[in-house]
Amino acid sequence: MAGSNIRRFKPAASNRISAYFSHHLQSLVFSLGKIYQSPATTIMTVAVIGITLSLPGGFYLFLKNIDAMSGDFRSSSQISLYLDLDIDEKRARALNKDIAAMAQVESTRFISREQSLEEFRQNSGFGKSIDTLSSNPLPHTIIVEPVEADTFTVRNLLGSLQAMPEVEIAKLDTEWLERLYTIVEIAKRSVMIVTILFACAVLLIIGNTIRLDIQNRYQEIIVTKLIGATDAFIRRPFLYGGVWYGLLGGIISWLIVELGYLAISGPLQRLNLLYQSEMTLITFSFQDFVVLITSSTLLGLAGSWIAVARHLRQIEPS
Amino acid sequence: MIEFHNVTKRYEGGYEALTNVSLNLGDGDMAFLTGHSGAGKSTLLKIIALIEKPTRGQALLNRINLNTVSRHRIPYIRRNIGIIFQDHQLLFDRPVFDNVALPLQIQGFRPQEVAKRTRAALDKVGLLHKEKSMPITLSGGEQQRVGIARAVVHKPMLLLADEPTGNLDPVLSREIMQIFVEFNQVGVTVLVASHDLGLIEELDKPRLTLNRGQLVLNDLEGEQQEDERGW
Repeated sequence: MAGSNIRRFKPAASNRISAYFSHHLQSLVFSLGKIYQSPATTIMTVAVIGITLSLPGGFYLFLKNIDAMSGDFRSSSQISLYLDLDIDEKRARALNKDIAAMAQVESTRFISREQSLEEFRQNSGFGKSIDTLSSNPLPHTIIVEPVEADTFTVRNLLGSLQAMPEVEIAKLDTEWLERLYTIVEIAKRSVMIVTILFACAVLLIIGNTIRLDIQNRYQEIIVTKLIGATDAFIRRPFLYGGVWYGLLGGIISWLIVELGYLAISGPLQRLNLLYQSEMTLITFSFQDFVVLITSSTLLGLAGSWIAVARHLRQIEPS
Repeated sequence: MIEFHNVTKRYEGGYEALTNVSLNLGDGDMAFLTGHSGAGKSTLLKIIALIEKPTRGQALLNRINLNTVSRHRIPYIRRNIGIIFQDHQLLFDRPVFDNVALPLQIQGFRPQEVAKRTRAALDKVGLLHKEKSMPITLSGGEQQRVGIARAVVHKPMLLLADEPTGNLDPVLSREIMQIFVEFNQVGVTVLVASHDLGLIEELDKPRLTLNRGQLVLNDLEGEQQEDERGW
């Protein structure tokens, strides 16, 4: 209070600054002590926060894996050409050469009707029923590997190949990938919505916990106000309480997701063997971990701030 | 220190707790505020402690107008007042030392300074040996002395006490009042609300007597208010 004559006894400014930090430290430790003193409430609150945050965390990890997997496919955009059934092998092989000579084409691979049938017989498990057919229903196939190019060029190539009279069907193998991308995009948006909703839930959970905390310490707040505590001083331990809840909740959610990851990684390895693929599950990077913990801590701070702003002002000595 | 000019306090619902109260308690004075319960003693103390604001009239604390104090200045003004409650208002979740140290921590004293002054205040009320005890383990008189230590630890200019001996036996009450007198002797302004008339007579300090919200006796200004006893 500047210019007031009422103050005659106060600590020196330098003392007050160091005391300011010392009170921050005290509040930090005090709020942790409060949490430690009521373990049941704390564990429940922290568990709810952890479970709530583990859902968006898990979804995020899932998408990250899908992204990494589809990234592997992206480079391969083969075009399969299925030729008319009445074209003989000689002409088909000639066509294969012509196409291989095209500027936009990196390489081609020719699969004759007989080869296709043989592969199908071996791999499909329908060998017996194939044998009953009177003629070979499979066409000659040319697998075209375009030069590295953007989707537009590849689509142009697809168009000109489709226009060839010998070609019955020209199929871009990345079409299913693009559908997958679209689905992944939808999933990403959904995860964003879920994340926002669950962040709001965490905000409410922490806000409510802090509100109860404020009610439980009603008398203490009154007394400290009467002996000259500023709002900031009273607010501090509650804000730190929220920070602790957020921090611990974040760690719990990280643990939940990591455990889920462990549970999935076993069967996934078996799946890898079956598909002869080299998929590996990606887990949280250190950066992801930092983001998760930081955002849950900030949510804790924000939640307690809302509760404190709403309820602390209403408590006045009377 | 405290100046009231025709202060009236009317609560919502129309109940008038104080009616045209004027008084002037000088720096270093000590006075007793008496009157039966409901006479307005608590309301008068609440106005000084910035818990209530006057409906009409002007209340000054060390020339600061209490009617117009902004919300954020209230804590800083309260730091110059030590308040003692009838029911002590101690915090039962922490030991005696922490209770007494609270005003110093609020004002931002360094831990070493806090410890020094807290022990000095506890020593003053004769409870230094109890600093680590929890308040719940103390007797009523001891709890009240802890309350006093907390009220004086930051060396306030003004000490307000609301029925400080209300729950104590006569011997303890006398002890407590004696502590207030000692603080007054070192220059602290003291205003004690009490209905313990016997004890007040013994101490021979000026009296302010309220009756139904009106100041009917004001020893601080001689007999000049006697005329206003028109009820």
